[in-house]
Amino acid sequence: MAEALEVFLAFLRFGVLSFGGGMANLPEMARVIISNGWVTGQQFADGFALGQFVPGPNMLAVLFYGLSAAGMPGALAALLGMFMPGAVGAMWLVKGWAWMARARWSRALRKALVPISMGLSASMVLVLIQLGVDGLGWFALMAAATWLIYRGVNVVWVIGGGAALGLLAALLVQ
Amino acid sequence: MKVPLAKLFIAFVEVGLVAFGGGGNAQLYQALVLRRGWMAEREFLETTALCRILPGPVFANTAAHLGMRLGGVAGGVLALLGVLTPGALLMLFLSFAYFRFGAVPGSLAESALNGVAAAAIGLILATMLRQAPIALDALKAVGLALGVFVTYGLLHWPLLLVLLLFVPVGMALYWQEAAEAWPGAEVEPRG
Repeated sequence: MAEALEVFLAFLRFGVLSFGGGMANLPEMARVIISNGWVTGQQFADGFALGQFVPGPNMLAVLFYGLSAAGMPGALAALLGMFMPGAVGAMWLVKGWAWMARARWSRALRKALVPISMGLSASMVLVLIQLGVDGLGWFALMAAATWLIYRGVNVVWVIGGGAALGLLAALLVQ
Repeated sequence: MKVPLAKLFIAFVEVGLVAFGGGGNAQLYQALVLRRGWMAEREFLETTALCRILPGPVFANTAAHLGMRLGGVAGGVLALLGVLTPGALLMLFLSFAYFRFGAVPGSLAESALNGVAAAAIGLILATMLRQAPIALDALKAVGLALGVFVTYGLLHWPLLLVLLLFVPVGMALYWQEAAEAWPGAEVEPRG
């Protein structure tokens, strides 16, 4: 149980700090939970990939990390820590939203968060490439997926295609 | 508008079932505004824009916020549970399967996951490419994005430090523009 508490506190910190989208703190999450020995680098990338298969927020991958760290209690602790801070804030916002919408600082903050999110996303891409893309083939697949999704091809097909190509690559190598 | 809690929960579970690939907010819009008419379009857009200043997954935050508007505190909690439950159950199932069978390097499953990860990075990159012309429309925006990337992505500074540094600077840079009338046209980052 002490382990689950540790997981909860770690993910609560990620949850509180993940401004600019839920995945903004992915690089720091990777650094912390890999150095804690909760997952390996490969497992971190795999958990992220599994998160693409499920509907709902991509950050459901935290269940994977929590499970690896401390079993079922760890999974629930990670989920709670990650989603609670934002949700509580969002519910509180129902009371304060009219005031908030008018407040100048809130508009300045929202405008500033747009480019800041871009910087966070770029950092996230970098860490994911370092952890999960080893080899020219995967890199080419990533570039192709970028192009297809940019051109408006349905995300579900592209992700499914990535899985199929990954399988095919393994079969051809064997 | 107040909605019975059972109906509300079912609506959000439906969204949780179909929101693949980061399209959560679009699904919420479909389910709540277009199909059920529980909320006016303008109200929906204003609140989702506002939910973006909160930490955490934007889609989950938006769901909790809209749920509370439609059904009080219980509605907010049920909405959050609704959008999380289908994906969470599937994620747990996949994770158990992974740790039981799939963790062998060089296995078929591992290779398939590498393919998925590569495609998923493509998704993030494509989203960034689409947003870049709007998000990086001024020198100060490029400077902020670059500053965050260098300190956080390359130099591995702690996120808290990066945010404490760049959020106040960014707010100061946009202070003048923020005087314009609400609501402004804004980019729609993926949540």
